[in-house]
Amino acid sequence: MHMADALLAPGVAVGMAAASAVAAGVSVWQLKKEDDPKRLPTMAVTAALVFAGQMINYTIPGTGSSGHICGGMLLSALLGPYAGFLSMIVVLAIQCFFFADGGLMALGANVWNMAFYGCFVGYFLLWRPILRGRLFSGMGAKAAGRAKIILASILGCVVSLQLGAFSVVLETSVSGITELPFGAFVALMQPIHLAIGLVEGVVTAAVLLFVYEARPELVRDVTVREGEKQKGSLRMTLVVLALAAAVIGGGLSLLASSNPDGLEWALFGNSEAGYSENMGLDEESFGIESEAAERAGSIQESSSFLPDYAFPDSDSPAGTTVSGLAGSAIVAAVALLLCLVFGFFRKRKKAKANG
Amino acid sequence: MDKMDRALRELGQMDELAAGDSPVHRLSPWVKLLVTLGYIIAVVSFDKYALSGLLPLILYPLLVSQLSGVSLILGLRKLRLVLPLVLAVGIFNPFLDRAPLLYLGSLPVSGGVVSMLTLLLKGLLSLLASFLLVATTPIDSLCAGLRKLRVPQTMVTLLLLTYRYVGVMMEELAVMSRAYHLRAPGQKGIHYKAWGSFLGQLLLRSMDRAGELYASMRLRGFHGEFYYAPSRPCGGRDLAWLLLWLGAFALLRLVDLGALLGGLLRL
Amino acid sequence: MITLENVSFAYEPGRPVLDGISFHIAPGEAVGLIGANGAGKSTLMKVLLGLEKAEGRVMVGGEELTKESLPRVRRKLGFVLQNSDNQMFMPTVYEDMVFGPMNYGLSREEADRRVDAVLEKLGLEALKHRHNHRISGGEKRMAAIATVLAMEPEAVLMDEPTSALDPFNRRLVINTIRELGQTRVITSHDLDMILDTCSRVILLSGGRIAADGPTEEILRDKALLEAHRMELPLRWQG
Repeated sequence: MHMADALLAPGVAVGMAAASAVAAGVSVWQLKKEDDPKRLPTMAVTAALVFAGQMINYTIPGTGSSGHICGGMLLSALLGPYAGFLSMIVVLAIQCFFFADGGLMALGANVWNMAFYGCFVGYFLLWRPILRGRLFSGMGAKAAGRAKIILASILGCVVSLQLGAFSVVLETSVSGITELPFGAFVALMQPIHLAIGLVEGVVTAAVLLFVYEARPELVRDVTVREGEKQKGSLRMTLVVLALAAAVIGGGLSLLASSNPDGLEWALFGNSEAGYSENMGLDEESFGIESEAAERAGSIQESSSFLPDYAFPDSDSPAGTTVSGLAGSAIVAAVALLLCLVFGFFRKRKKAKANG
Repeated sequence: MDKMDRALRELGQMDELAAGDSPVHRLSPWVKLLVTLGYIIAVVSFDKYALSGLLPLILYPLLVSQLSGVSLILGLRKLRLVLPLVLAVGIFNPFLDRAPLLYLGSLPVSGGVVSMLTLLLKGLLSLLASFLLVATTPIDSLCAGLRKLRVPQTMVTLLLLTYRYVGVMMEELAVMSRAYHLRAPGQKGIHYKAWGSFLGQLLLRSMDRAGELYASMRLRGFHGEFYYAPSRPCGGRDLAWLLLWLGAFALLRLVDLGALLGGLLRL
Repeated sequence: MITLENVSFAYEPGRPVLDGISFHIAPGEAVGLIGANGAGKSTLMKVLLGLEKAEGRVMVGGEELTKESLPRVRRKLGFVLQNSDNQMFMPTVYEDMVFGPMNYGLSREEADRRVDAVLEKLGLEALKHRHNHRISGGEKRMAAIATVLAMEPEAVLMDEPTSALDPFNRRLVINTIRELGQTRVITSHDLDMILDTCSRVILLSGGRIAADGPTEEILRDKALLEAHRMELPLRWQG
């Protein structure tokens, strides 16, 4: 789900970076308030572990494929939402800096899509209410704890990945990068991430269960004092809300896949005819009815939020001409020549240094 | 797992590149950071059909690569991670946007093809710019630069510490997964029965490690403050680099150099 | 330099890990702390460093270890961890080395001077700007010792300083330890190293001191060692 710089318009990238920066600022402030100096080394080691853990392939039973974890939910279940969020930012930053996984400008958006939902939405709306609630109280305390961890991990991962995938679509569409209509893009992304979320949820649950058996005090909200437990019932309403959101989200993606342009209409108020015929992913309409396709393209353009997201003077979308390309070729040739000259001088310098 | 080994190698390679010495390596890290961000903004702000305007921006990575002695080929290898999503998003453009935008001779080229190529070029250029930044700036300078740009100390310190332990953790996991696969030769990944214990084991050990790490910090007088390598005072050279490049990006962004030269060619 | 008077410690009540430990270590003395796994060596180190609070009196440099004196006492002690990766948490050797001195309020110039002096003394100049995860195990151990020496402690505590080192690096570490002027307390299962570096040995067993005396004497006592799940040093095994 890592976004490259190219997939975001500058305005969107800066906006997302600002949103993530605010969330990070709040988290830093919260950590300062806690004032626990042991926090930092624990966060660093756990973040490094999650970073490495993302590279493990988990074989999915019954299929030939394997899954991975992203780690936001795992981190917030171990470190709490604020520390988890900051750790996740660092994981994403290292991926971006050293492995070019996700762009530098897109870091803010990636943090939002992959860390914010897992850490804050996943934690406050699902993890904490479920763990502190009275669910499964019929079982023994230990068994109830296990069941809650499983439920919260899976729900948390599924919901946060759905939200993340939806954000990717939203950001890309708003940036006006793809000709793929919003509905079709949603239909493409959400089901894939439903599967990914399920796998991540199960792996997260398995890891947390292991930790719960060995050192329960490391898992957040498992052992709650009696006084605090009362909040659970109130929080259950939040669980219901979150579940509703998940159902609505799932419903939306179903709707999107059966009627791809529905969302586009809803969001952008566009109801041009001929549009819906083309937007499904069925090959028949792909590129065959070129007239409809053309129209679709122009609709997409006029319907994106920031059609001219660029600086105000870039008003010639079709400015590319053959002569322009030829000119660019000249620039490239000059650049190459420059490189050769540079290389020549460097070699000579080296030869001199050696001789 | 060779994925882990490859990542470790890649991390080591970036360290080695950054430890080099060149005029670019010697620049203030925050200046490099700003120039890189400026470049990426300039690149991605181009219109989706502006292939000719975008192409001249390739000058920046080429020049920096030459000045720093860092080969761009290494950066190109990193494309494998970002390219799939960029491609997945762009690949539909040729199918959906079929209005001919220009003619190469008598061959029509649709807007979709041009916009896809532009998108790929944007992906390539922004990636090369970030690669060059990190390949010419060691992590400690990078952190000093981030501090200078007012990133909170908690974040910067966390980045520094995490970076240090990413290598350690990957090595440990690589050993664990090698041990796992030696005893489970047929399996491609981790069997579901070991899903929890595999990472969980390491997690428990990591918590002990964090405790020891914290003890080591306390024993050396740690009281919440981290000290970074002093960032060299920002000289005229740094300012010149900053202003020249930002000016150049603005100019290239406003003037379609490709079209201009092409126009001259036709005269 | 270091005096313990009737020190006891338990993680869980009723199961003492240290049980009435008393000894005195003179300034400049090198003492080997030996014993089987679980004898209490690591815990004793933690108590000395003020990482665990024990019953009894711990005196370091003439000052009793209390909550109030802890920062001053810690300044006198340097600790080399068994796992250098846990000791060296900064990206480069240099930054790890200035971490301690800077925390003690030294200026950057003064810290730099100390770093250079220590590196020169140990012959590690080439390591200064290397990355901690790019250096070998032996280099890492030497660098870890250097980070501690840069703080100019009055006593150096070491936990298994020669574990997992090749013969060459082991010898290097041994020679380094021998040349240190500070008080040294070294825990190890490498009795040959203890023999080469320490003039006195304290044998711990079940949280108590089983023997305390000159190294040669204790390490030659086959019956004593075997009674406490140890063996003679390799060089004396027929």
